[in-house]
Amino acid sequence: MTRWTPRTAIVTALAAFSLAQSLVAQSERSPSASIVIVTGQQPTMPIPTLMEGAASSLGNMELADQLFLRLAELGPTLLTAGDRNFVPVLARSWTRRDSVTLAFDLDPRARWQDGVPVTARDVVFTFSRARDPAIAPRLSELLRHITSVTAEGERRVVFRFSHPYAEQLYDATFHVAPLPAHLLDSIPPEALARSSFVTQPVGSGPYRLVRNVPGQFVELTANQDFFLGRPKVDRVIIRVAADPDARLNMVLSGQADAMDNVPPPLDNLRRVAADSSLRLIPVPSPTVGFLLFNQRDRRDRSQPHPILADVRVRRAITRGLDRRLMVQAVFGTYGEVPYGPVSPLLWIRHRSPKPALQNLTESRRLLAAAGWNDSDGDGVLDRNGRPLTLELSLPNTSGIRRQMALLVQEQLRQIGVRLELQSLEFPVWAERHAAGNFDIDFTSTVQDPSPAGLTQAWTCNGGSNVAKYCDPRVDSLMERAVLGKGDPGQNWVAALQQIEADAPAAFLYAPTYVYAVKRNFRDVKINPTSSWILLREWSPGPMR
Amino acid sequence: MREALTPLRNAWRDPGGRAGALLLLVVAIAALVGPWFLPDPLAQPDILAGSAPPGLGHPFGTDQLSRDVLARVVAGARISLGVALLAVMLSVTIGATIGLVSGYWGGIVDAALMRLVDGALAIPRLFILLLVLAVWERVPVVALIFLIGATGWFTTSRMIRGEVLRLREEGYVRAAEALGAPRRRIIFRHLLPNALGPLLVTATLGVGDVILLEAGLSFLGLGIQPPTPSWGGMILDSKEVLVSAPWAGIFPGLAIVITVWSANLFGDALRDAIDPRSA
Amino acid sequence: MDSVARVVTRADEVSGWLLRRTLQALITFAVAMALLFVLMRAAPGDPLSRLSEDRPLSPRDVAVLRARYGLDQPIGRQFASFLRGLVRGDLGTSIEYGRPVTALLAERLPATLLLGGSVLLLNFTVGLWLGVRQAVRRGKREDRWLTTVSLAGYAMPSFWLGLVLAWLVGIKWRLLPAAGMQDPLLSFDASAAARTVDVARHLLLPALTLSIVSIAATMRYQRSAMLEVLRLPYIVTARAKGLSQRDVTWRHAWRNALFPVITLFGLWLPILVSGSVFVEAVFAWPGLGSLAAAAVGGRDYPLLMGASLLVAALVVAGTFITDVAYAVLDPRVRLA
Repeated sequence: MTRWTPRTAIVTALAAFSLAQSLVAQSERSPSASIVIVTGQQPTMPIPTLMEGAASSLGNMELADQLFLRLAELGPTLLTAGDRNFVPVLARSWTRRDSVTLAFDLDPRARWQDGVPVTARDVVFTFSRARDPAIAPRLSELLRHITSVTAEGERRVVFRFSHPYAEQLYDATFHVAPLPAHLLDSIPPEALARSSFVTQPVGSGPYRLVRNVPGQFVELTANQDFFLGRPKVDRVIIRVAADPDARLNMVLSGQADAMDNVPPPLDNLRRVAADSSLRLIPVPSPTVGFLLFNQRDRRDRSQPHPILADVRVRRAITRGLDRRLMVQAVFGTYGEVPYGPVSPLLWIRHRSPKPALQNLTESRRLLAAAGWNDSDGDGVLDRNGRPLTLELSLPNTSGIRRQMALLVQEQLRQIGVRLELQSLEFPVWAERHAAGNFDIDFTSTVQDPSPAGLTQAWTCNGGSNVAKYCDPRVDSLMERAVLGKGDPGQNWVAALQQIEADAPAAFLYAPTYVYAVKRNFRDVKINPTSSWILLREWSPGPMR
Repeated sequence: MREALTPLRNAWRDPGGRAGALLLLVVAIAALVGPWFLPDPLAQPDILAGSAPPGLGHPFGTDQLSRDVLARVVAGARISLGVALLAVMLSVTIGATIGLVSGYWGGIVDAALMRLVDGALAIPRLFILLLVLAVWERVPVVALIFLIGATGWFTTSRMIRGEVLRLREEGYVRAAEALGAPRRRIIFRHLLPNALGPLLVTATLGVGDVILLEAGLSFLGLGIQPPTPSWGGMILDSKEVLVSAPWAGIFPGLAIVITVWSANLFGDALRDAIDPRSA
Repeated sequence: MDSVARVVTRADEVSGWLLRRTLQALITFAVAMALLFVLMRAAPGDPLSRLSEDRPLSPRDVAVLRARYGLDQPIGRQFASFLRGLVRGDLGTSIEYGRPVTALLAERLPATLLLGGSVLLLNFTVGLWLGVRQAVRRGKREDRWLTTVSLAGYAMPSFWLGLVLAWLVGIKWRLLPAAGMQDPLLSFDASAAARTVDVARHLLLPALTLSIVSIAATMRYQRSAMLEVLRLPYIVTARAKGLSQRDVTWRHAWRNALFPVITLFGLWLPILVSGSVFVEAVFAWPGLGSLAAAAVGGRDYPLLMGASLLVAALVVAGTFITDVAYAVLDPRVRLA
């Protein structure tokens, strides 16, 4: 009789499991072509017009993109101004009647997943809900320039806008996808979120929802009658793992076929690259990270900030940082130093100048000019007996910002600026950010593809201008750019140049997301505005 | 005090206890004098080079930001041990006081205090800490010590209360009470010295728990704030490079394991020494 | 007659004790609830902040949302309405998920019970067995080694061990899944056997992680309880009668050494829930721990309150059941 030890027990148990798995489970895995995508956010309410508040999450939006088609999709140039750069989807074509009127013709083949044709009535119904601030505060704000949406017959919808501007088509198509009026107009708007439509949605998109296993995954199956051609990948599983390392582990262990945005550090990219079954796909990200300087005193918002209100100090800090080195250390080649608050997703970045390099002499000169000297020789600059100490607040949820902050802290120490890091729980950080209760805030924003969103944070009365930065020249340049007066690109770049001169923030990084996808998938296309929206065009490789 | 010394001596006789005590001593000495002989734990000499494996210049290698891991582990020992010792002292003091009050006065005070303890024990300590930590503007080390100490006394107080209830039945305490000795005298001369042994065990074992707890909090980014090195924070920093630069996470991990382990070994021996029946 | 009277007295005593004990459990729960409520509302951080993470809301929208979740009410009224809901079994709506808290908790509870139950099972089988072995071989090399090794496990941070195991077993050797609770590609109509095997494979790593870091406590407890019993006269007698070591250990001693260990049961729950906060995150296990961690991060008051209450209720109930079981099993317990 062999001697029983815990080790033999464990080995036996492992062997038994592996054996059982190969005998039982393997044979019962369904043979159809499928893909497992792992993502960080659990979809809760992937229904257009309902993705408000907490439901306006990436998890919901990405799932909704599989279930519901838009009138048109933003093309690969990501150029949001003008009418040329959009791809027809639900709408077969569109015509401009005058500078404030657009007419869409719906594709006659388009069907809801219950077989009923998609009509103009559906579009009118959806926009009537989306434009109601009581139902959809976020959407109605985005759609505020649309004054009416009317049907002309079964297949034609006419949009009217309050004034001429460059992004009318973008506003009409990007923010919301039509819902089936024939199923929903009997349900009161406030009851929709609790109706069975949320758990069993009927969409117009390439995939339909099979089941949603909470906390684990969502299963989709191809819409066999999809009018733009049946998707070749039959089954889509969207797995949820909140922890980025758990997501990476799933891909590396073969439990998932694809993930968006392999998390830094670079080392993770090397690990994925070392796996010959995986391919790395760089995609421009909508993210830009920066150190936001408070222009006002954090306790008394009517007073200027005692240190940072001086543009020389703000510039000195920016010039004191070797941003290229930091981006290289954290992102390797998958990131760049932005010029102004511009993510790689915005088309205007292609026309911007290069950001300034580190210049310690200039930095020290600016600080000295502002009256900061190290009179007591402790390595920290001071003025009138007060040391140049600033607090940098950042959320504890972000590994990138944590790593960056350590680099910034050490580099500023060399020019005599002492930075105290304040790592906060996310809600606390967000509350202080919104209230302007910070010296320097490590902000990271996710941008829509339209540069018009920049007015929110960088104009005097912008809704998210928490640091109270105000330069009327920037305001007027941005206004001209949004209205499309003259060359919009040129106006945007002029605004960015003014922002760089004012240094309301030190713009640190604009990352490139790196997707990991199993090599056996072909025709892999990724639209940076919605990770998996083009999945309908992918083809599966050989079966596993 | 002498009552506490005998078990200490007995625990020292036990090989496990002695090993634990010696290891703790080594860690403490390293924490005290180590930083004088080691590089600046904050310096980032070459951030593009990233982490380097253990070698002659860096016995434990360097982390992602090219900081010396050995220097950080040693500097982290100061923080982790310091936090643990002070927090445990605080929680043991509170626990002993509440236990004495509760056990000695009894009645409604006892009932109220023990219900409070029951209620607090029903909520996992981690949850309480997470909620309370968010209240603070900054989390200076002092505040952290206070919080960990203030949430760690529940079981101690219960244990001391039981001990007091037991001791009050003893002849000499009853005799003292019958002779009309003042309360203070009974508490400080008779009850407290006899409860010192179990208290010492709780404290030793508590040190290990607090080190783990502080590591967990730092791991969640809520404990010691960077750039001050702490063991949990180092594991957090190196979590992503666990595979390619394992040294950056393994050494602080080992430091935690060894310290907690030796505290537990010693605490265990101490318990056996106090309660010889279990030895 | 005399013995009957004694039985009746004992029954009265038991019911009286049971009543007091129940009352005490209820009070404990109420105290925990009040503590939680105070802690949670005293914490800063706006639960609506996450909504405006990327796309800021206007103050008007925030006001609308605050009213919807009752956050504009004074704290006393919030507590009152919370209590009213609790009586009806309604714990409010999660801010993060937009769904009833009770439904969310009900979805996540089974996964946590499965994980926690497996860990308990491991600890109370393997741990007890090892503890008994240690007691029998007290002071010998095996006893020392087991102490050393189990304490080393106890000293390990669970998140660290979890990361190492996920990498080693899940990725390097590919023996077991590195994360998740089931294989989503398992077809819809797969047999129950296949499903069980699948979940068991996913369960093994997280359960092992939690067990390794906690088994030492059970072993220590069982060891000392066993040592005490081994010293009792009847064991000495049994030995003297020439019964084999194995019979003495397992037939006579162990059963009596089990009683004190039962009390550990109630103490385990909070430890397991705290530990599972880390372990569930590392292994993407869809249980209460990861739900609660997300709720803490998002300051999702209703959800956090619900989850903590559920845990508190479990702990109180666990202690209560243990006490009762102990009293029933061991009539020597003084009912005071």
